Amino acid sequence: MNGLATDASATAIAALATVAVLGGLLGERRVFGWTQHLFAGLLTGYLVLIAVREVVVPWLVTPLIADPAGRPELWIGLAMVAITALSPWLPRALAAVPVSIMVGSLAAFGLGGALVGTLLPQAAATVVAGGEPFGVTLAAVVSAAITVLVLVGFLHGVPRGRASLVATSAGRWLMVAGIGGWLGYLLYARLVLLIDRIAFLVGDVAGIGR
Amino acid sequence: MSERLARFGLPLAVVGLLALVVAVGPNLGLRIAGSDPAPAGRLIEVLDRLPADPAVLVGFDPDLGTYPELRPTVRTLVADLLDRGAGLSFVSMTPEGRALAVAEMARLDRLGAPRGSVTDLGFIPGAEAALVSLAGAISGQRPAAGPPGLDELDGTDLAVVVGGNDLGPRSWVEQVAPRAAGLQIVAVTPTVLLPEVEPYRASGQLAALLTTPGQGAAFRERTPAGSFPALAERAGPSPAAIAAGLLVAAVWLASALLAGGPARRLLRPTARR
Repeated sequence: MNGLATDASATAIAALATVAVLGGLLGERRVFGWTQHLFAGLLTGYLVLIAVREVVVPWLVTPLIADPAGRPELWIGLAMVAITALSPWLPRALAAVPVSIMVGSLAAFGLGGALVGTLLPQAAATVVAGGEPFGVTLAAVVSAAITVLVLVGFLHGVPRGRASLVATSAGRWLMVAGIGGWLGYLLYARLVLLIDRIAFLVGDVAGIGR
Repeated sequence: MSERLARFGLPLAVVGLLALVVAVGPNLGLRIAGSDPAPAGRLIEVLDRLPADPAVLVGFDPDLGTYPELRPTVRTLVADLLDRGAGLSFVSMTPEGRALAVAEMARLDRLGAPRGSVTDLGFIPGAEAALVSLAGAISGQRPAAGPPGLDELDGTDLAVVVGGNDLGPRSWVEQVAPRAAGLQIVAVTPTVLLPEVEPYRASGQLAALLTTPGQGAAFRERTPAGSFPALAERAGPSPAAIAAGLLVAAVWLASALLAGGPARRLLRPTARR
């Protein structure tokens, strides 16, 4: 099959899948369900392909074949892969070893990076050292107040006293406003996706307006 | 209004309206590029300061749901970098990002990107640990394994992070920047990540950041066509269609908040039982 035919067939399949997904938006459930199964199957196959072709072979098998005696850590890695694959039939304590190492290392890198890359630099960037314009100082004070109120609203389960009640209520409203703003961004992103898919059907497939 | 009309008729009307706006293509005087041109200017400044024929590492981890928002800007940025003689090394840390990277590299090859200007470093497993190993390669530590090209990242002039997935600009700032001293990181992310990444731009940890369609459109407007006009994607999403969609969403939301509105029944289906 030449490149042009491949492009045409890929466009046709993409158009059919797009129509099926948009059909789900309009109430069509059966074809939409088939499309979901198709996507789930493709995704599973793709993940297996990625794992074998781009992880296990280049990072594990190839170096082991090249230098079997010189890379003892890769034999341990290979054993971890085998334990993970056989985990349903192995004792729980043994099967938990690779997962524990994975979660532990991710947490270690994640927490260390959050401290060094985010918390300290961001704290340094927001500290008001004096001498800044009034607007900068005011913005910092407002940010601190919002942070305190949201923390109070988030942590204070049962407020006691009028001041505590007002602070908790204000904190919760600020939190809801933040979530609302984030949902607005999400709506915008999904709207652009919908318009992109419609533009694909109208312009690239039907050729209208091109 | 009948339940059937509320459930099926309104979505059909919205899709039809958007299709009409996209097909007819009215501009209506709307222009999203003018909303916030400063971030585009900062990115262009960073690109202008690059040495001749720079080595650029592209961390390509967008997600399928938000990539249409970034795609025109990313393609224009890639075309501009190639026009500046850059060597681009694509790397992904998420499977979804890898799929999109493969598609983009195939497009570059098909549309005539210079031979040898694009290197595929593939998918690096390990999430944050992968970024740490990448930072080591940028700092000159020879990786013990991995795809060819990973040991040639020493001397990378710029990292371009295309975000949207789990391992976006924040992860690069946290894991790569502290370990690769002097590496400049710029990012293109979808709007939904704005609250997460904006502080990194404000603190200077990201040298430049484009994070909304408006900022992307401003960058596309200010970037010359260069030697690879076919590689760039100039047209973004229709501003009129976005405006129409946002208006519909606002009306829909308002009616959902009012008792008896059709959208309220649609958004709260259990209330009918």
